[in-house]
Amino acid sequence: MSAPYSYRRVLRREMHSPRSVLAIAVSVVVILLCAYVGTEIILSMLNQRALLAAPQDMLAALAALGSAPVALPTGIGVILMIIGLLLVIAALKPGRRARHQLVASRGAVVADDEVIASALARHAARAANVSPDNTVVSVSRRKAIVRLTPTSGTPVHRDAVANAVQEQLAAFELTSPVRSSVVIASSGKVGA
Amino acid sequence: MNNTNRALNRILIAVIGLLTLLVGAAALAVATLPAIRAAYKSTAPDIHNGMAGWLKAIPLFDTGSSWGWIFVLAGLVLIITLLLVFIFRQGHGRENILLKEPATQAGTTIIDSTVAEHAIQDDLDGRPEFIGSSVSTHRVHGTPVLKISVTCRRGVSPRDVTTIIENTLTAFDVLLGRQVPALIEIRGGMRARLARTTRTQ
Repeated sequence: MSAPYSYRRVLRREMHSPRSVLAIAVSVVVILLCAYVGTEIILSMLNQRALLAAPQDMLAALAALGSAPVALPTGIGVILMIIGLLLVIAALKPGRRARHQLVASRGAVVADDEVIASALARHAARAANVSPDNTVVSVSRRKAIVRLTPTSGTPVHRDAVANAVQEQLAAFELTSPVRSSVVIASSGKVGA
Repeated sequence: MNNTNRALNRILIAVIGLLTLLVGAAALAVATLPAIRAAYKSTAPDIHNGMAGWLKAIPLFDTGSSWGWIFVLAGLVLIITLLLVFIFRQGHGRENILLKEPATQAGTTIIDSTVAEHAIQDDLDGRPEFIGSSVSTHRVHGTPVLKISVTCRRGVSPRDVTTIIENTLTAFDVLLGRQVPALIEIRGGMRARLARTTRTQ
């Protein structure tokens, strides 16, 4: 191999959502709508009874909307606007996945934030001498927050926990820096 | 890593979203704004009559129906077909050939992707750190790229996982005599949460 391989495209695609699920869901809804309208048209052409309303009646109802009661079109209008707005926002947002990239000598590495959090939780629990069940870690793009509930009667050394977490984060070698903070609950739990 | 057309996904969502937004806004305006309501009241029936007249003007033989509906049906079928093509176009981009050596007098050497996939998978499967793993080969801009995706047990350091897989990859590089680009994906998820705990070291 001559030039080192550029992982830019691969990494961009791994770190962002493809929006496939939403696009497919939207397509299915549109397909169902089209299929319904098509069925009504065919039924009316065959002079059969309509499922809900014949297409001619739909057009007539639409034309009479100006004299129809206000409540129904208002409600439908508001709901459609909210759905439309959410779709537009979803289309424009970057859609970052909850992942971090790790420095690697061979290839490119991405890890779910959940994996990073559970590794941090294990080390924080050991440093604090509390049960892993009483350790909750949440990892976001720039922050890792460790929440500990100490065992009643046993003090937790905040610095020891902070050091352990800091050490682990440094060892993971994430490509974007993540700050850590330790929150120790003010009241402990008995027998935890 | 697959070659889903992500721009198209977003464009479709944006277009449908804007249409929904516009229809909703129109319905709301007709219902609540007196000026628009009055204008709609005066013009909509005329447009409706115009359309009804147009439908009558092109009768479908003597069935009492109209060619207009056939056109609408054709349009609907076209939309449905395009959307179905769009849905089935998602994903894809797997590659079957890992390496193809230029032909020599002795012949051509082709190495199948499954060689790499099985070799790497086999090495990773016995590891206690992992609950599951999958190896696949994708074509990215014409180059085969290996994707090694592992679900690891809770609490396992992603750095340790990286080291394990990098070692496997390096061993495979020696075997192959080449370096194939590789992406390592370390996942948590439901399976990791439900799996039994075990001793890893």
